[in-house]
Amino acid sequence: MDDAQVLRAGVLPGPSPSVRLRRRAWRGSLQGSEFTWAVAFLIPYAALFLAFVAYPVAYGLWLGHKPALYAELVSEPIYQRTVVNTVLYVAIGVNLKMFGALLLSGFFMRRRWWVRGLLLVYVLPWAMPALPAFVSIHWMLNGQWGLLNNILWNIFGIDGPGWLETSRWLALGSVIASHIWKWMPFWTVILLAGRMSIPQELYEAADVDGATGLRRFLHVTFPLLANLYLICTLLSTIFTLGDFNSVYFVSGGGPALSTHVLATLGIRDAFEIGRPDLGVAAVMSALPLMVPLVILLMRKLRTTEVQL
Amino acid sequence: MSRLSRRGVLRGSLSSMAAGSLARPFIANAAAKTATVWWTQGFIPEEDASFRQIVAEYEKATGNTIDYSLVPFLPLTQKIVSALTSGDVPDVMEYNVADLALVPQYAWTDKLTDLTEIVEIEKAQYHPTAYLATQCYNNVTKKRGAYFAPYKVFVSPFHIWNSLVEKAGYRMADAPTTWDAFWDFFKPMQKKLRDKGMRGVYALGLQATTTGPADGNDTFHAFMIAYGGNDIVTPDGAPHLDDPRVKEAVTKALTYITTAFKDGYVPPGALSWTDADDNNAFHAKQMIVDLDGTISTELALYHKKEQYDDVATMGLPNDNLGRPVPAQLGVGGVFVPKGARNLEVAEDFIKYLIQPKVVNGYLKEGLGRFLPAMPDLVKTDPFWLDPKDPHRSAYTRAALLGPTVPNHPVYNPGYAEANAQQVWGVAAADVIREGMTPQAAAEKALKRIGEILAKYPITAS
Repeated sequence: MDDAQVLRAGVLPGPSPSVRLRRRAWRGSLQGSEFTWAVAFLIPYAALFLAFVAYPVAYGLWLGHKPALYAELVSEPIYQRTVVNTVLYVAIGVNLKMFGALLLSGFFMRRRWWVRGLLLVYVLPWAMPALPAFVSIHWMLNGQWGLLNNILWNIFGIDGPGWLETSRWLALGSVIASHIWKWMPFWTVILLAGRMSIPQELYEAADVDGATGLRRFLHVTFPLLANLYLICTLLSTIFTLGDFNSVYFVSGGGPALSTHVLATLGIRDAFEIGRPDLGVAAVMSALPLMVPLVILLMRKLRTTEVQL
Repeated sequence: MSRLSRRGVLRGSLSSMAAGSLARPFIANAAAKTATVWWTQGFIPEEDASFRQIVAEYEKATGNTIDYSLVPFLPLTQKIVSALTSGDVPDVMEYNVADLALVPQYAWTDKLTDLTEIVEIEKAQYHPTAYLATQCYNNVTKKRGAYFAPYKVFVSPFHIWNSLVEKAGYRMADAPTTWDAFWDFFKPMQKKLRDKGMRGVYALGLQATTTGPADGNDTFHAFMIAYGGNDIVTPDGAPHLDDPRVKEAVTKALTYITTAFKDGYVPPGALSWTDADDNNAFHAKQMIVDLDGTISTELALYHKKEQYDDVATMGLPNDNLGRPVPAQLGVGGVFVPKGARNLEVAEDFIKYLIQPKVVNGYLKEGLGRFLPAMPDLVKTDPFWLDPKDPHRSAYTRAALLGPTVPNHPVYNPGYAEANAQQVWGVAAADVIREGMTPQAAAEKALKRIGEILAKYPITAS
């Protein structure tokens, strides 16, 4: 008689109560075959998650795990300027973009037909693929034969500056402007949706109390939009920290490597210099800023789940 | 009809997975004669067609299979770096600038297969500089070896708009033959052309760029070598950054380039030009003369006969003392990463590929943008020195019949990193944008190169 036969015959005892409790905790309310099917359905997702999320992240962490890499990174003359650029790019780009989106979402609340038409045109930059859009901007800003300087010459008879070619600040400003042009429509639509979900009765009540114009915005709209605005700003900050396209395709990190941000420096180190470990370290060095932002975002999402 | 039970489904799935795992080795064995190849996409469709033809002929002759991918140059660079980092590699990789980047660095870290035995087969055919360029240093074995099999070469010739020179009232036949005088020859033309209404024209396409990948470095090196600074790194891999001749050459090169820029003879955008920007600016007749690798500038106009014939292609002038200036010979070739699954087929394919007859046929289809690494081919096949083509023969003479030197990363892979960090472009920008003196910028650049090369000590050679 083998163990299974013994067990079936009731000679050997079944699982202990503690094992049964553990099994119940693990299986939840699922019984018998339900649990097996649940596991079977979960396996493909878990496998994909492990292959395409967990493994690349772990591999990246492993590539950039050596402290010596960070010492080498910091010793690079370009790195400190890149960190400053990243902070400026994110701080100016995100705040101008979000504040502009907040104001414009108010404008697009108007019910005139031409405002609706304008909204359609306004969201086009966001709808366009990023790469050709930024490459076009790069050509338009060419100092010698770009569209912008040709217009300046033909209309005003003046030679425009080399937007991307001579000055770090002009080039960084051009990159930030391009980023805002591309992404402000998206956040405008999000904030517009937020404004549209504010109950009309609140505005009517504010009207009765005599709050119109700026006061209505300050006392009704903004308090109700504040959480959404904050969450959008946090999300946008996280996206912008990892933004590669705007910088790479508009300024290419030039002139003289003066407008790189951490995302483009990482790619440069990995593929131009042929040091993927250093490239990963460059990107990972943004984590001290990125992780608190993600934590803050998650906390905000939890605490504001019932608010607008 | 049998009922589909849960256990049946799970058992069936597990059986299939097990069968798949067990069957894999046999599938792999069946495909053991297949090599995976990553190849640079051609400049024109005929080049790709020619490669496909080579593969078809090889497959027919051997019964082996070549599973190839044709990838544009920049994405191919990223694929190669990613593959060599992760270890998931193909059997053969091809690279346009094998001597300049990636190969010297990955040979150093022992990630490539030593192809000395294969390269030795064609050694007698190879241009000596092309052969020398294969000899990369392995920091694990502490030995040099041939880590790629070369088959094509190129140099940076001058590209000049004849019509602009003549419109300014000059003739190329009157151009001086020494370095500074040759460059200076074009400067007065700028004012004359602007006086004739060409507002945006500049004399010189001097690429003081930091954007890369290679043009800014190539331009600077041409100047540095012309001023006597080629020994910045010697064949033993040793840097000579304190050598007064090197320092003087670097300072002179920076002085000429940045002074021309500050005097307004160079398009301001040159400071940020990417790989194709100088070609575009030249085609837009924004400058009279450009110094740039290969004759792709001319070949882009191949089907515009009038413009194609309007451009003059020239090799380098002499140095300021009247001695020939050697051109840096870029060398492209194929290499095999360690971990290649089908080494036997990979090496067999490379042996087939680097045969002079095969190389010649393939490169001719590319209209001569790249030249064969075997000088005898250009001497025996009239295609290469055909005087009817205004560009190819001058370019061929400069690369294969004139004096040449290898690129410095061959001697020390640290120089590939210095190139990638655009140290010379940064030095030019330090003078142009930051107001540094050329001497100070030269010191700073040499110090930076010293820091980088210190990571690549070569103990034996």
